[in-house]
Amino acid sequence: MKKTFSIGGVHPADKKISAGCSIEVLPTPQTVYISMSQHLGAPATPTVAVGDKVKAGQVIGEPAGFISAYVHSSVSGTVKSIGPRPDLAGNKVTHVEIAVEGDEWADGIDLSETLVTEIPADNRFIIDRIKSNGVVGLGGATFPTHVKLTPPEGKKAEILILNGAECEPYLTSDYRIMLEKPDQIVIGAAIMKQVLGGPRTVIGIEDNKPEAIESVRAAISRLQAKSASYSGIEVAVLKKKYPQGGEKQLIDAVAHRQVKSMGLPIDVGAVVQNVATSLAVYDAVMKNRPLTTNTLTVTGDCLPADRQKNYLFRIGVPFSFIIEQSGGMPEDAVKVISGGPMMGKAISNLDATTVKGSSSILYLTAEQTVRKPESNCIRCGKCVEACPMGLEPYLLNKLARNGMMDELEQNAIQDCIECGCCLYSCPANIPLLDVIRVAKGDVMRAIRARSAKK
Amino acid sequence: MTTTIIWTIAILSLLGVVLAVVLYLVAKKFRVEEDSRIDEVEKVLPGANCGGCGNAGCRAFAKACVDAMNLDSNFCPVGGNDTMKKVAAVLGLEVKEKAPMVAVVRCNGTCENRPRTNDYGGYSSCRVKAALYSGDTGCSFGCLGCGDCVAACQFGAIKMNPQTGLPEVDQEKCTACGACVKACPKNIIELRNKGPRGMRVFVSCVNKDKGAVARKACSAACIGCGKCAKVCPHGAITVENNLAYIDFTKCKLCRKCVAECPTGAIHTVNFPVVKPKPEPAPAAKETVVKEKPETKEE
Repeated sequence: MKKTFSIGGVHPADKKISAGCSIEVLPTPQTVYISMSQHLGAPATPTVAVGDKVKAGQVIGEPAGFISAYVHSSVSGTVKSIGPRPDLAGNKVTHVEIAVEGDEWADGIDLSETLVTEIPADNRFIIDRIKSNGVVGLGGATFPTHVKLTPPEGKKAEILILNGAECEPYLTSDYRIMLEKPDQIVIGAAIMKQVLGGPRTVIGIEDNKPEAIESVRAAISRLQAKSASYSGIEVAVLKKKYPQGGEKQLIDAVAHRQVKSMGLPIDVGAVVQNVATSLAVYDAVMKNRPLTTNTLTVTGDCLPADRQKNYLFRIGVPFSFIIEQSGGMPEDAVKVISGGPMMGKAISNLDATTVKGSSSILYLTAEQTVRKPESNCIRCGKCVEACPMGLEPYLLNKLARNGMMDELEQNAIQDCIECGCCLYSCPANIPLLDVIRVAKGDVMRAIRARSAKK
Repeated sequence: MTTTIIWTIAILSLLGVVLAVVLYLVAKKFRVEEDSRIDEVEKVLPGANCGGCGNAGCRAFAKACVDAMNLDSNFCPVGGNDTMKKVAAVLGLEVKEKAPMVAVVRCNGTCENRPRTNDYGGYSSCRVKAALYSGDTGCSFGCLGCGDCVAACQFGAIKMNPQTGLPEVDQEKCTACGACVKACPKNIIELRNKGPRGMRVFVSCVNKDKGAVARKACSAACIGCGKCAKVCPHGAITVENNLAYIDFTKCKLCRKCVAECPTGAIHTVNFPVVKPKPEPAPAAKETVVKEKPETKEE
């Protein structure tokens, strides 16, 4: 039986236009800009100086806190400058500018494509490799993976879920890696499974990707034939429903457990990782290769079929370079989005660079993006039906517009996952998510201030 | 039939009298003593309930005044000195006069000065826009132009100018309640001294980027060159984080800084346009201003 989460959800057209395009290696530009803030948590501190020669895979930023991550150079060359540069939203973030010279990799990195299936026995070694190679969650939140793989004292992981749902329309990068590198993904899953003490491991894939399901299943049986360390890994076929790939939704769908308000997945014994993270874990542990590349989809309805792309790109390549390489921006595109159409961010500055979590460049036309005029709420309840967290968006909207902080907290605004289902389903075009997101920030700040006082 | 009507009337009248007595006794027993002066003070207040004084409304302000029996820390920005005098008269207290304040928009990123780099198509609210990204121009500090301040103003004192895309404050209507200051997510609006005859000088920019970056984004940006701070004879100007700030408590309105500013980021308001008449501000008398001051309406 196909699994899915129990409440809410919407069904946007999946539009996986670029699904048939195999992953191409993106050429390296003259200059890359590597952001020091590519992960959730404190930005990394640069460890190089202007004029330094760096090799690809060399550490150029070290973590500045517990929740932080190493940043590596994705190219070899000379450090030209270190300083603030606007990111895709125009906010200033410290970047290291590197002029590319050749392609020389740091020592100890295995660049060969041979599959390594022997998982190291030492868990501490594995965690160290994941940490020092700067692996972060590539599902969107870019939370440092080594932190997620070390559950706090007294908590035990009972199920490891790999997210291969890719429930956002248009995106195909996860789908492509599941087709092209399924063995690596399964090995990555087995590594994380071992670190977590061998819980049941499930790779969740939506039913609109039958080839990916076949490919991953074949890889699992291939590897299980080879070694016993791959037993207990299975594929769960999920219904196509947005936001199937949400952490809490995935736990509900696969394990039928509900994470309580403000709780973490580990509270119900679950750990969720993206399939792309699993691939990065494989590269980091088995090949000692830092997270310096990722897969990115270039797509959109207005882009001709021959220019739809899935690229393996070096992290730090400017978006403008990728657009140029893929044949320029289509004429009728008015909005460029990094990420999917539901949760992605519009790029206001095309000179901004890609980061670890970049997963797509999506072109939308005027027709697709224009907001229709807002009208009155008639309390039809469509947003309540659509909300996968069981919230009442129409109510939160009203409370937020009146600044009723206590009531917002009582109505659990802090549990909003910002998936956009409410906004998508509202027939009155009320900007529900826009209002709720800002209010959620205010409430979260108030909660943090209160717990800091205690 | 008639007896029924008579009985009904009689019983109801009796019930009315009994309940009236009960109500009277209850009201007597549970009477809440409230200082009658609170009502009197509330009567002389403007009744806008704007919260500009920091209290939850005019009655709360009246209660705060009566409780404290001291007007030093209580001031009604809407009513100003006149209202405070009345409050003082009611309570029999002394009140110090406060210089009137006015809201000042410290951004001159007009469509002309600050070219747009992208179009915003989302929900028209500065707070929402600021949460999403840095804005539709190269300047990440400047006005977002969605008019949260206009919506916050209860006195109709702020309007968006469609030509410039910036809010403009009507100094006659502005009561300096500070609602717009709180509403602005970019902290552009500041309450400043209204100045003698409304004359004031201020830096109309909050950009903290380095000079070249700021200038590239907006031709009227403060580039933090520090020329104004050097030329100021009163030490009223400080430059911090590439941004000049004029302390209005020290500024004597000599306007030397205005002539010195290379980008025209320092604005003057309400100075006489034509002939340099005898300067009204005492300090300005000492310094002879030769150049014709450029007067800009806010």
